[in-house]
Amino acid sequence: MLLPKKIAIPTLNDDRSDFCFLFELFDLVKLSPTTYHELDFTYCKFLRPNAVAFLGGLIRYCHNLGKTINILWATLSESISASLTLNGFGATFGFGSKRADPGHAIPYREDLVENPDEIINYLIDNWIGKGWVQVSPKLCNKIAGKMWEIYANSFEHSQTPIGVFTCGQHFRYHNQLVLSVIDFGIGIPANVKQFLNSDPRAEALPADACLRWAFESGNTTTVGVPRGLGLSLLQEFVSVNKGTLELYSSDGYVKMSSDGQVFQNNTHCFDGTVLHITLVCDEKYYLFSDELEGNL
Amino acid sequence: MIINIRDTIGTRCILKDDGQRLFNQIEPSLRDDMDVTLNFEGVSLFASPFFNFSIGQLIIAMPEDVVKNKLHIHNLDSVGQSVMSRVVENASKFHADRDYKKIVDNILELHAKEAD
Repeated sequence: MLLPKKIAIPTLNDDRSDFCFLFELFDLVKLSPTTYHELDFTYCKFLRPNAVAFLGGLIRYCHNLGKTINILWATLSESISASLTLNGFGATFGFGSKRADPGHAIPYREDLVENPDEIINYLIDNWIGKGWVQVSPKLCNKIAGKMWEIYANSFEHSQTPIGVFTCGQHFRYHNQLVLSVIDFGIGIPANVKQFLNSDPRAEALPADACLRWAFESGNTTTVGVPRGLGLSLLQEFVSVNKGTLELYSSDGYVKMSSDGQVFQNNTHCFDGTVLHITLVCDEKYYLFSDELEGNL
Repeated sequence: MIINIRDTIGTRCILKDDGQRLFNQIEPSLRDDMDVTLNFEGVSLFASPFFNFSIGQLIIAMPEDVVKNKLHIHNLDSVGQSVMSRVVENASKFHADRDYKKIVDNILELHAKEAD
């Protein structure tokens, strides 16, 4: 399919179909012989932070390939303009100035290289420790530490040429706190296949099966030092909180919630990895059971 | 030998490089049959890359009884303990000479079961 110079961006939420649109767009732009595109938001009524993080990464990825993607700022609705100003996406790409107080936005962030302290501070100050979900300081630190491992894993294994992209939002009327962390690397299934490539069957392993293996505690694609992705704490927390943790990598999809874990193959493939966490902002105060009985 | 982690690493034990540095520091002493105490007082944030490269790597590199008897962990809070326990568990299952064929067999077997 020939991609026009002007690309219409529809309303983008965080359903699987929205992610599939973004993955398809990424492929089309990447493979397009045209080196200049414009993003037109005339028909976009809403842009969730997962789409903001993804579009930021897409623009950087194309820039890295020598292509240019410009945003037609005049096509943005007032509410989307305001939202992109608050979360800092606008200022990053030359629209408006950065706000000192992001309000209910979890600022858009690009990390080309590992910035451990900055990333942890960001997660604590803007996401899990901001008070939208009430967690004890101990649990806050542990969740931030676990999320840091996601970033560390992306930087170490994904071979992302442009780093990691993050954006989130507190939706106060929906009582939701969402955060998306996206890398444009080779994806977890490709990593698993590469690791097992001495066995010719590895190449044909389905993505969902690779993800299931990678998510099992202790399984690792590195040699020499014991490792493992181990999302158990995040999984446990989203389960107690009735939130969800979704991961897209290659054509694999994982969803973790209080209903358990689902591993599936997706209709669209994205070479990188998207981690999308939705937490419920309820009245509960979450803490470890050794801090007080009867809780997490 | 007593190592105050807060002084040598800081209040966040999250990085593999810090874990490797700690491993390099304590491994020779343990080989010399010396007691090593790691004091985690004042450390509040933990992530597995740090423990993988310090404690996890020790478990792989040293005889189990040396790590058990000569390495002493003090003032590690419950969060740090839970991260470390997971790392120790993973390290005990870890085999440097991986049987890749067996891993592929397991993945395919599990996949077939899930498809049923």
